[in-house]
Parts: sequence; C-alpha cells; structure tokens
Amino acid sequence: MARRGMKRRTFLRTAGAALGAAALSQALPRRAAAADMKIGALFPLSGPMALLGEDMFRGAEVARMMINEQGGVLGNKVVWAKADAPDATAATSEAERLINVEKVKVIAGSYSSALAFAASEVAERNKVVYWEFGATADSITQRGFKYLFRVLQLGSNLGDVAADYMAQVVGPTFLKMDPKQMKVGLIYEDTLYGTTTGGAAVARCKEYGMNVVLAETYSQKAVDLSSIVLKLRSLRPEVMIATQYISDGILFWRQAKELNFNVKAFSGTGAAHGLPDFPKAVGDDANYVLNSDPAVGLNTANLTPRAQQELKVFRERFSKEYPGRTPAVHATLGYLGSMVLFKHVIPAAGGLDPDKIREAANQLDIADGDTIMGWGIKFAPPGHKNAGTNLRAYSVIMQWQEQQLYVVHPEKWAMRKVVLPLPTWEERRAGKK
Amino acid sequence: MGRGRSLSLEGSAIDTLTIIQVLVSGILLGGIYAVISIGLTMIFGVTRIINFAHGEFLMLAMYGTFWLFTFYGMDPYVSLLIVTPAMFLVGLLAQWSVIQPILGAAPLMQIFATVGLSVAMQNAALLVWHADYRTVRTSYSTSVLEVGGLLVSIPRLAAFGVAVLMAVGFFLLFKYTYLGKALRAVAQDRRSAMLMGINVERIYLLSFGIGTACVGVAGAMLMPMYYTFPTVGTYFVLTAFVVVVLGGMGSMTGACVGGLIIGVIEAFSGFLIAPALKEAVYFVIFILMLLFRPWGLFGQRGAEEVGLK
Repeated sequence: MARRGMKRRTFLRTAGAALGAAALSQALPRRAAAADMKIGALFPLSGPMALLGEDMFRGAEVARMMINEQGGVLGNKVVWAKADAPDATAATSEAERLINVEKVKVIAGSYSSALAFAASEVAERNKVVYWEFGATADSITQRGFKYLFRVLQLGSNLGDVAADYMAQVVGPTFLKMDPKQMKVGLIYEDTLYGTTTGGAAVARCKEYGMNVVLAETYSQKAVDLSSIVLKLRSLRPEVMIATQYISDGILFWRQAKELNFNVKAFSGTGAAHGLPDFPKAVGDDANYVLNSDPAVGLNTANLTPRAQQELKVFRERFSKEYPGRTPAVHATLGYLGSMVLFKHVIPAAGGLDPDKIREAANQLDIADGDTIMGWGIKFAPPGHKNAGTNLRAYSVIMQWQEQQLYVVHPEKWAMRKVVLPLPTWEERRAGKK
Repeated sequence: MGRGRSLSLEGSAIDTLTIIQVLVSGILLGGIYAVISIGLTMIFGVTRIINFAHGEFLMLAMYGTFWLFTFYGMDPYVSLLIVTPAMFLVGLLAQWSVIQPILGAAPLMQIFATVGLSVAMQNAALLVWHADYRTVRTSYSTSVLEVGGLLVSIPRLAAFGVAVLMAVGFFLLFKYTYLGKALRAVAQDRRSAMLMGINVERIYLLSFGIGTACVGVAGAMLMPMYYTFPTVGTYFVLTAFVVVVLGGMGSMTGACVGGLIIGVIEAFSGFLIAPALKEAVYFVIFILMLLFRPWGLFGQRGAEEVGLK
C-alpha cells in the first residue's frame, strides 16, 4: 500500500510542478517599455459576466491597436494593465493593485454596474481617473465623485426609452390602444443593473397610466423561469419590458415559447437583447424582439462624414481581428470610450495627470452625430446631480430582423421600419419568419 | 420603485389548468434536479465525501456533449453513450488523484480538497474554452407535447424519464448484484466490509466513477435545454445539495423524491409568492431539514455524518 502511495505522490508532485511552471511562465507580466503609456483595464474577464466583459474589452483593444498604429498617444504606445474582476470584491482589490502596484493614473472599465460602483470608489480615494464604458446604474455617478466619467447614458434612460416607445408608438400605432388601456408586464434581474433600469421602466409606465400587471425581480442565476412565464401568461399583458442578462434572457425566451406565452411587443433594455449571442441561441425566435440600448445598426446618413468613416473602419477592423464576430453594443462602447480617451482627452491634458485629465474631460464638447453611436459627448459638470455622466448619450430602440439589430426609432437613426405586433409562437412555428 | 412587489392577481386567468401546468412544470424541473443529484448522493453514500466539484463534473459533461455536437454533429442523446463512460474515467481519475490520498484525513481537509478541485476545474475550463455561452440547438430543444391543454417540454420529459430509469437501475443494482451489495456494505460500515473480503479501495474508486458517470448522463440530458459556460456548475450544485440532504444522503429514492419535492416547491413559490423568493423557500426547508431531520427523508439515521465510520 505504501509503495503505491509513493508512486502516486511522486507522479502528482511532478505533474503539479510541471503545470505550475507552465502557468507561471504565462502569468509573468510583460515589462512595459519606459515610454509606454500604461492605462488600467478593469473588466470581468472570468465568471458569469465574462462574455460581455470580454466583448467590451475587444472593442477597447481594437481602439488601442488602431491608435498605436497611428503613432500612439502623444507619441507613446498605449499599453493595458489588465485586471480581471469577476465580482465586486475582486473589483476593489484589483483596482487597488492597479493603483498601488502598476501605478496607473487612469482606469478604464468595466461593463457591470456592481463592479464599477466598487472599483470607482477605490479610484476616487486615490485620485485616479475612472473612465467607465458600460455600467449604467444611475447611482454610480450620483456620489459627487470628481474623477469619475461615464461615456454612456444612465440606466434609467434605458428603461425610460423602452417605456416611452411602448406608450407612444406601440400602443397608439400598432395596438390602437391608449396607454391607459395597455397592460404591461415587467421583469428584471435583481442586481444593481436590473433594479435601476427595470425600476425606471416601471415608474415611467406608471406615469403614462399604463396598467402594470407585474413588476418582479428574479435571480439571474435561476435555472428555471417557468413559474414567472406562467404567472405572466395568466395575467395576459399586451406588452412586456425585460431587463435581463444573457443566460436568463435566453432561458426566459425559450420557456416562453415552450409554455406558449405571447405578447404583442417585447422589449429588452440592454444586456441580453443587445448581444449576438441572443439570436445565436434562439435563432429566428429572436426576430422582432425590441431592444433599448445605445445604437448599433443605425442609419449612418445623419452621422458626420468623419464618424461614418470611423464606423466603417472600426467594423472592418473588428471583424478582421476577431473572425466571425461583428461588434455589438458592448464592443462598440468599448471602442468609443477608449478612442475618446486616446484621441481627445489625454492629448488635451498633455499626459496622464489625473487633474489635467479631469479638466480636459470637463471641457470636452463633441456634437451630436460625431461619434459612431450617433450621440455627442458632454459630461455633466461637477455639482450636477449626475456629474460625470455623458449628458448627450441616449438609448434608441432597435429591433432584431433576420437575426441582426437595426435601429427603428427615432427616425433620425432608424435604418429599418419596425415590424409589429410580434408573431405568436404558433405563427412562428407555421413558418412566419 | 417596484422592487419585487407582486401586484394582486385579480383579473387574471388563474384556473385549474394553470395550476396543474405549474405542477407539471415543477415536476419536470424536479426531474432535472433528480438526475443531477443521483450521482452526488451515490458518492456521498458510499465514500462519505461531499463532492463540491460535482457541479464542475456536470460542466465537463455538458462541454463534452457540446463539442461532440459541434464537431461530429452528434445528437446529445446519442453522445450520452460516449460522455457517460468518459465521465466514469474522469471520476476514477479524480478519486485516485485527489480523494484517495486524503481519505484518512479530517473531514475539513476533504472538503477543502474538493472545493479546490472545483475552482481548478472552473478556471481550467475558462482558460481553454473561454467564457462564451455555448448552447446546442436541436430540432426538439423547444418541442412541446400537448396533453389536454397542458404543455410538457420534451427535453425535460426525457430528463425526467432518465432520472426514473437511473433510479430503477440502481435499485436493481443494489438488490441483485454483488457490486451493489458491496457498495451498500461499504456505505454501512467500511471496516466490517473489509473484514468480509470486500476490496474497499476498489469500491471507492468504482462508486466515484459511477457517481460521476451519472452526472455525465445529466450533462448530456441538460444540453438541449441549457447552455454551458465555465461556471455553470455553480448554478446547479447548491440545489443538488439541498435535494441530497432532503432526500437523505446515500439514498437513490431520496434523490428522486427530493428532487421532485424541490421542483414543485420552487414552481409554486415562484408562481404564488414571488419569483425573487422561489429559491429562498426551499433553502428555508433545507435549513429546517438540517435542524430537525438531518438524515433526510429516506436516509439512514447517522448517515449524515461526513467522514468514515
């Protein structure tokens, strides 16, 4: 018995040592050259949000490659100090590490509201700039922070725009109903993102006098949503607004099909319903689902010629770097946020000094139509309730058609006409695509 | 801001059909929980090891099914025949390399070892397969059987059927085969079993292998309905533990009945109370079970103690 045990132990020890050595050699960070411009990149690259964090990082990475090919920022090549934050605790510790060990002066990130909330706190304490590309919760920029800038719109905007669309367009035009006669069901996942965006949508629906038959949270980790689907089915809303992450979004839609739950219009508010993984999982069943999010698939006629060209170049480069992928909302936000930093803010600040960057950011004034998502950029000034949020960013309504997202509202950015009401599951089975 | 407040259900069409539908959905969900828990309870029953890496074995099986589908176009129900034996071998390997060396150690050490295995597997999967959600789309992924107005999801029904088959299979194994009797003997008293001439070390290896093979079956059955990603195991493993405790650690019948009970409770709490609380309800039951009847519904009294007897 001892003999066998010895052999096993030796084998395991050598195997373990070999694996450890291999892992270590991968993990040693590349030493940045003296003249490199080091910027922190804090994203969820593992764990449940990794899919979206990675997509956002891809966009940022394309921006970095492109700017380096054009000579870098102020003559220096941009290098990321990468940090993986699968949850808020890791976000805090990684932010500390980036600031104290890697000595970055600017941290870009982070896609998730929960992560951004935690990490930006660390950055603010250390007077390091936090440049947010994707987290939407309103509360993030409502703490009076001076070094925090958020390139996109508030989460409540996502919810508001969805509710507005239902009440102003879907009801009167397609259902021939007054908002006050419409029954609406809302579900949202229970973290900061879901409750902010979903909560805003609920409040907005109530402002219109719509009949909110259901407004429920649920855990994104649920493996079964049939009870919610059945509850909704028994309440018979005409329209639905859902704030879901990808796995629950897919699960819900599949179970809605199984249990034959039909609505005349269904809108997501970012996350699940803005990702190409949604149609990849449910195929043609994704068609005609609406989504409230910053614009992808927009009519470029109203962009400035410069932005039109930039969008074209970005999309081509993205597909070249990541074969088989097209940039969706998160990748585009990652690119947009990074480019603004590289092209406008850091040069105006003359370097990475946080106070100078802060000043440059507050002075930034990009007109509506001059970014690849159609908006402009002007950060809310210090003292404003949402200081640091881009006041010119807004969400639009898109619809999946032929498994691609196209803007359908507002007219200015609409690339296609919306197709409503949603076909019933029976109609879909009968072959109506 | 409407945080989880459920508005009244007046004016809604809650008829008997809907209630029965909720029940049916609950039972089918229970079938899924049962099929995942059978392997776990088997391993615990015989080796007294709480395998915290159980979820990761499920993840591995799901990935196996996914890759077989992607590269060879193999239907998940067919790849069952490959994934199950493969998982059996994985179980043997895990037992031999991680568990066997620490069988005599303190129960806390054993727990740490399986937790460590769990984390290692999650991150290895992340490294190799990345974070993307992988799903398999078959012609029957969302197929439904309609029975008198009730809608029964076919992949779920299949998973339920498989759970029943496995329970019956184990019943026959335990009652009529030498291996089955040896497994039961080791589960009851390891030393006496050794005195009876049973090769206990081999039984441990086999039970881990069989238990992991069971979760391999679960993985193949789940793929048409779910998606896999490196941390998918964590979504299921906690519920599997609740089922195993409720049913009785080491009892196959317990795993099935426990699974069904949890599934039905979850469905009804979600429907009648609030979706936000559906897991909370069965966790409360879990705690009560641990307090008042820790050996579960069908377990042996005293069987709930971790570690060897």
